[in-house]
Amino acid sequence: MATQANAQTTWEWLEERFGRRQFLLKAGWGFFYVFLGGWLLSNLRYLLPNVLYEPSLMFKAGRPEDYAIGVSEKLKKAQRVWIIRTQKGFYCLWARCTHLGCTPNWFDAESRFKCPCHGSNYNVDGDVLAGPAPKPLWRCALSISSDGQIVVDKGRLENRRGLREKGDFFLPTSA
Amino acid sequence: MPPQTPPAPPAPQPPKPSLKQTVQKTKLWKSIFRHDFSDTPRTRLQRVFGNVFLHLHPVRTPKDALRVTYTWGQGGISFYLFLVLVVTGMLLMFYYRPTTIHAFGDMKDLTYAVTLGGWLRNMHRWAAHLMVVAVILHMIRVFLTGGYKAPREYNWVVGVILLVLTLFLSYTGYLLPWDQLALWAVTVGAQMAASTPVIGNEGPFRLPFITTANDARFGLIGGTVIGDATLIRFYVLHCMFVPFIFSLFLVVHLWRVRKDGFSRQTGEKVDVWPHLISREFLAAILVTIILMAWSMLMQAPLEGIANINVTPNPSKAPWYFVGLQELLVYFDPWIAGVALPGIIVAGLMAIPYVDINPKGVGYYPKFEKRRVGPLSLSYASERPFAVGIFMLGVIMWFTLIFIGYYCRGPNWEWYMPWQAWSHRRITKMTLKSLPNLWGSLLLLCYFAQGTPFPKAVRERLAQKFGPRAPSTISAIFHIGAGVLMAAAIFVPLVFWPDVEYPFRSRYTTLFEALGRAPNAPVMAALFHLVQTSGAVGYAVIAALVAGVGLGLGYVLLRFGKFKDRMFDDLGLIKYSIVIGLLLIMTGVLGKIALRLLFGVKYLISLPAFSLNI
Repeated sequence: MATQANAQTTWEWLEERFGRRQFLLKAGWGFFYVFLGGWLLSNLRYLLPNVLYEPSLMFKAGRPEDYAIGVSEKLKKAQRVWIIRTQKGFYCLWARCTHLGCTPNWFDAESRFKCPCHGSNYNVDGDVLAGPAPKPLWRCALSISSDGQIVVDKGRLENRRGLREKGDFFLPTSA
Repeated sequence: MPPQTPPAPPAPQPPKPSLKQTVQKTKLWKSIFRHDFSDTPRTRLQRVFGNVFLHLHPVRTPKDALRVTYTWGQGGISFYLFLVLVVTGMLLMFYYRPTTIHAFGDMKDLTYAVTLGGWLRNMHRWAAHLMVVAVILHMIRVFLTGGYKAPREYNWVVGVILLVLTLFLSYTGYLLPWDQLALWAVTVGAQMAASTPVIGNEGPFRLPFITTANDARFGLIGGTVIGDATLIRFYVLHCMFVPFIFSLFLVVHLWRVRKDGFSRQTGEKVDVWPHLISREFLAAILVTIILMAWSMLMQAPLEGIANINVTPNPSKAPWYFVGLQELLVYFDPWIAGVALPGIIVAGLMAIPYVDINPKGVGYYPKFEKRRVGPLSLSYASERPFAVGIFMLGVIMWFTLIFIGYYCRGPNWEWYMPWQAWSHRRITKMTLKSLPNLWGSLLLLCYFAQGTPFPKAVRERLAQKFGPRAPSTISAIFHIGAGVLMAAAIFVPLVFWPDVEYPFRSRYTTLFEALGRAPNAPVMAALFHLVQTSGAVGYAVIAALVAGVGLGLGYVLLRFGKFKDRMFDDLGLIKYSIVIGLLLIMTGVLGKIALRLLFGVKYLISLPAFSLNI
């Protein structure tokens, strides 16, 4: 008898907790919140534009013989890159600090790039010597166009030692 | 003939009503003003509850809550400055077009070609600066007078949100002039978004599908470079979106002040009209006069037109963000730009919920003096820990602002405030990271100091190993950690090879590299010692490490006793929050010291995950 009554109350408790009424109520509110959440999230996607009207990342940087050995700041104001010519060839550093995106300046006396915003220092290879920057400067891909000019592509970047000194990221002085 | 009666005196004419009385009798007047303006107790109440704007006030309030030296009026002044900013901002919008072609020119027009335009712009800018000051002072005042304690905990949280929104309004506002300051401050701020863990392209543990064209930075600036899309975004945020959110929280904040009552409840009750209202108006008038005069005398800064390829040297944020800019020098951007600000805000919000001390509500802390060895320390007798730690945080923040503003010159190099800046000063700074294992050991020992020995554990230890066991184990734990930490700093710096440049460097150990660096004074001094006295120098260093380790251990042991008491008082959850925040705060100080004195860059560096600590 006692167990029967107990079972009945248990059943009632279960029904009250998980019965049809509760199920419909919770499902209803559940769908409401899922809808609300999805709608809000879809608005986050709205904030990411699909079409950008930004300047091209590729440009022509003149002929190789225009550059003397060393760091050329000629293109910094217009294109935000340094073209660096060594004995063996060319590479191009993107003048954007890897810390928080300011434009460093080249100091010949110390042969360092120094950033004015938080004081990161890089050497001529782009490796970090001091300051908070976490990564070396990025190098841009280089190629030669049909009219003999250097083409810089700021869309393709590399900064890992071993990979950045070859392939598209280093342009040997042609014989 | 009947006797002539003297002519009856003319009936006294009612005095001719004045124009004012006539006007006050019109239906129009009565429909607007429901009560008369005589100074009677009745009208004093009617003025407050018959007016929607004054209605936010109670009608009567304790006299002591109105003392200027209690509140300094900072909350009301912040609110008034917000109103000034709304009005001046709306007027500025008439002449401003948020496009890269027009924005800077419109600023120039406002300054030089529009009647009163420059003055309005100055007022807007300086009111924004004043508002930041007022909001911060308001927060400090509320903290010191215990205004955040029950039942006002939630309103403190709303207040912290308003502080964050005030700073965000300033941040979105200063891109709009499209000058160099604007552009570079926003470049840095947007790049911090890119350093967000998980959803930032350059942050630690970024998701595999996150690129520069869909990360948090992209969403903030509406493109991969700052341009027209960014300008319109910040314009909408600054003029509509954030003020709207701000107003919502402001309404809640003011409403809760009214509902929860003032924190100071002593003194007889007085009528709010005129006692409080007059003070408010006086404060508003004073602020207006100061602001107007200031805006006539001081031009709001406007640098050259924004150029996304050239950064001014040095490039400094407005003063209230220079502290953050300086903090960014010592940490990886995801820590200084995302994690630490988040922890600071969350920590501020947590204060009322972890502070279980009921004392100190409604008055400034009373200070007592105590001699500790040779020092005479002043501390708040009723709330020593809360007041001490909060004020340490405030002082740290303003010290960072001071360093960033006065001690940093070209290339963000250290200059004393009295030194002249030079763009040709030759400095070869060097920073080195600790090897990961040593750095992890240091961090582990440091954060292990959060572990308490609660009463139950102490008692069990005493039962098992004798009555002296708990204190012995605690001493071994704390002093051991102190010695390990000292060793983890010095040993790798002195003996570790310079792994970053093993072939190119002419130096062989971190010690030698840092010993020659101008930005690692401690290492330079030790290096000099070893150079001049050889093996004796190393012996001195070893003694120094042991001394520092033992000293650190002793401090930790003393702190350990306090920590055990705190754990017993607060319970696990509150204790974990408090000790975590405390360790992070002193950890920031410690990391800054490691950077400035030892030239240490990172404790742990995992470039593959963009994770640097």
